[in-house]
Amino acid sequence: MSSNAAASSSGGAGSADSAAPRRNSKRPKYSRFTQQELPACKPILTPKWVVSAFILVSVIFIPIGVASLLASRDVVEIVDRYETECIPEPLRGDKVGFIQSAANKTCERKITVPKRMKSPIYVYYQLDNFYQNHRRYVKSRSDAQLKSLKEENETKSCDPEGTSGGKPIVPCGLIAWSLFNDTYSFSRNNQQLAVNKKDISWKSDRDGKFGKKVFPKNFQKGGLIGGGTLNESIPLNEQEDLIVWMRTAALPTFRKLYGRIEVDLQPNDIIHITLKNRYNTYSFGGKKKLVLSTTSWLGGKNDFLGIAYLTVGGLCLFLALSFTIIYLVKPRKLGDPSYLSWNRNPAGH
Amino acid sequence: MALGVFDQDVSPRFCIKFPQLYQEGVQNVLFSWKRILSWMFNGVCNAIVIFFFCTSVLETQAFRKGGQIVELQVLGTTMYSCVVWVVNCQMALSVSYFTLIQHIIVWGSILLWYIFLFAYGSMPPRISTTAYKVFLEVCMLAPSYWLVILLVVFSALLPFFLYSAISMQFFPMYHQMIQWKRLKSNSDDPENRPIEPTSTTASEIRR
Repeated sequence: MSSNAAASSSGGAGSADSAAPRRNSKRPKYSRFTQQELPACKPILTPKWVVSAFILVSVIFIPIGVASLLASRDVVEIVDRYETECIPEPLRGDKVGFIQSAANKTCERKITVPKRMKSPIYVYYQLDNFYQNHRRYVKSRSDAQLKSLKEENETKSCDPEGTSGGKPIVPCGLIAWSLFNDTYSFSRNNQQLAVNKKDISWKSDRDGKFGKKVFPKNFQKGGLIGGGTLNESIPLNEQEDLIVWMRTAALPTFRKLYGRIEVDLQPNDIIHITLKNRYNTYSFGGKKKLVLSTTSWLGGKNDFLGIAYLTVGGLCLFLALSFTIIYLVKPRKLGDPSYLSWNRNPAGH
Repeated sequence: MALGVFDQDVSPRFCIKFPQLYQEGVQNVLFSWKRILSWMFNGVCNAIVIFFFCTSVLETQAFRKGGQIVELQVLGTTMYSCVVWVVNCQMALSVSYFTLIQHIIVWGSILLWYIFLFAYGSMPPRISTTAYKVFLEVCMLAPSYWLVILLVVFSALLPFFLYSAISMQFFPMYHQMIQWKRLKSNSDDPENRPIEPTSTTASEIRR
């Protein structure tokens, strides 16, 4: 306090002691900041602002909604569910038994292309009821091990799939252990359609998270086999199926990129698929689907974004019109104190 | 905190002219349970909107032209970005006194979030683990990321905006009535149309 007085009497910046010489004044130094008189704008929700805001939102949202819906409608998507169909009829009573046996797992499927599909056509496998977002599952990996050969023994976070027979498993953890291993090959008019399996993973994963010199070792050698095996002569940063699989999905129904078909498909083309139905989703009632899809500037087929934008835009337009009508029909009374809640309710609230 | 300190619903001049404003504090109209619960309800509604809109838009299909699909880190980043935007825009909507400081805080918070995403994501994977390059490589160039944020912000704030507009127009509280007066009349002219103080004090004395 005394320092303030000293400052104001010596500095003389504010209007504090202009007229009478008041020494030891306790009045604080004036500044626009401390007196909260900074330049400000004080917006109020007047009818003009409210209606303009609603109209602006609807003018922006409705075209975006239309564009998104058109983009989604442009995408051609073929979904083929095969996990039950690909088990021979007589063996469908014991699906788990079939999948774990050494029986022939090859399955022939046929799909028809409904509309022209322009390349690149993305091939995905979709799994339902598979909780890749389970906490223990997500944690069960060792990023250090994946990146560098020196950290091969960092398998603590991978239990129970950390070591096998006393030696570390590379790559360790439940995520790698449950690698998806169905394979698909496509042909049209007896001509093979090539599936490009390069660059299906994110570049940052290939360059930053999976090492060039790390090779699979001791993988799926234990008693319980959870999924596919890996070629031990290919380094991890080129094992793109593994890299794609290790990026855990957010929801129990998810797709993962399998590859790309780089030719156009014409309407009414019949595509023959030879698939190997190896992956066991039967133990937990999961579904397997094969998806072929084109993309637009927005991505794949999902009408929700377009419909949501149109709904919000339409709602705002409706609100703009209703507010305009209400403001014209029922003008507000200005500053009548009988509207105050404590005056309207004399018995208290 | 900064918004609470620097916000000002009615200027000091008007506070002196209309002592009935003090009744707002005495009668506890600003911190009544009804108001607290309705703010909480607003928060819950915002959370529901954010979650369901994000998951419904970023479903199983590709979210970018390159055919890539959404995983845990993308969904998480998108949802958290939505939260940051909704919270800051909600504050911008509820503040009635915009100084430079308010602008810096609100828009600065949003910018800071993106700077953090960018910086943390650029750190080596040892430190950033799942966030490695998530904004730079994955989200920044995905139109659906930005469209989801725009949709979620406006949808989440629409009910609050509607409520504010209706209450300001048809059920104004006392400090809001004074804001209207300031807008309509010349605020520097003290002779201008005072709200009848005599009848008000009489009714208060009666109580």
